[in-house]
Amino acid sequence: MGLFDAFKKKGMEIGSPLKGKCVSIKEVSDPTFSEEILGKGVAVIPEEGKVCAPADGVITTMFPTGHAVGMTASGGAELLVHVGLDTVALKGDGFKIIAKEGQKVKKGDLLMEVDLEKVKAAGYDVITPVIICNSDEYSDIRGLIDKDVNAGDTVIEIQK
Amino acid sequence: MQEFSYTIKDELGIHARPAGLLVKQASPFKSVISVDTGAKKADAKKIMALMGAGVKKGTTVTVSAEGPDEEEAIEVLKKFFKENL
Repeated sequence: MGLFDAFKKKGMEIGSPLKGKCVSIKEVSDPTFSEEILGKGVAVIPEEGKVCAPADGVITTMFPTGHAVGMTASGGAELLVHVGLDTVALKGDGFKIIAKEGQKVKKGDLLMEVDLEKVKAAGYDVITPVIICNSDEYSDIRGLIDKDVNAGDTVIEIQK
Repeated sequence: MQEFSYTIKDELGIHARPAGLLVKQASPFKSVISVDTGAKKADAKKIMALMGAGVKKGTTVTVSAEGPDEEEAIEVLKKFFKENL
């Protein structure tokens, strides 16, 4: 195998948006995510409320409620980070938006902050799915699960 | 082209779950299907586009389908919007 093949074979790495534990998407108790309706991915059980960019790219959708963010990574992967389940219903309470729609970001840049204790106290699960929305465009999507992660540690590997 | 208008009744608008379900309904059709809020027009087969359109309760959207199976597509989507949104 030549150098070019090695380069070509190298997929893209998606980092964890949060410090916590990376688990299988199947462990998410909301079928929207566990049945991969939105795409394939993993979930992170967060320990800290700093939500960082999982890759270099552009913020395509910053939800006004701050509970979810969508971005297009350089390379074309459409990533969705959805902080907690059903947290849309909190209407922004406990979430602070940092990044703006259209903003270019580097992997690890702070996108938003969430008060995990507040969200938990309100009765919501804080598990955070990280989804490749255009999963169909990739031949292989592998989650690196069942491990403790810091923000930025690779949790998904994708191959065109 | 076939189309219909619908005013969103769901308290939370087109958020993650309905967007995902909508894409599932729309994807099998060959027709180009879109959801137009007046401000933004989203491809109904793209999750990110749909969620990004930020459709809220009370918004009237125009759902359109254009292609060989547009009539069937619009019937399926009409039913979906009524039952889910």
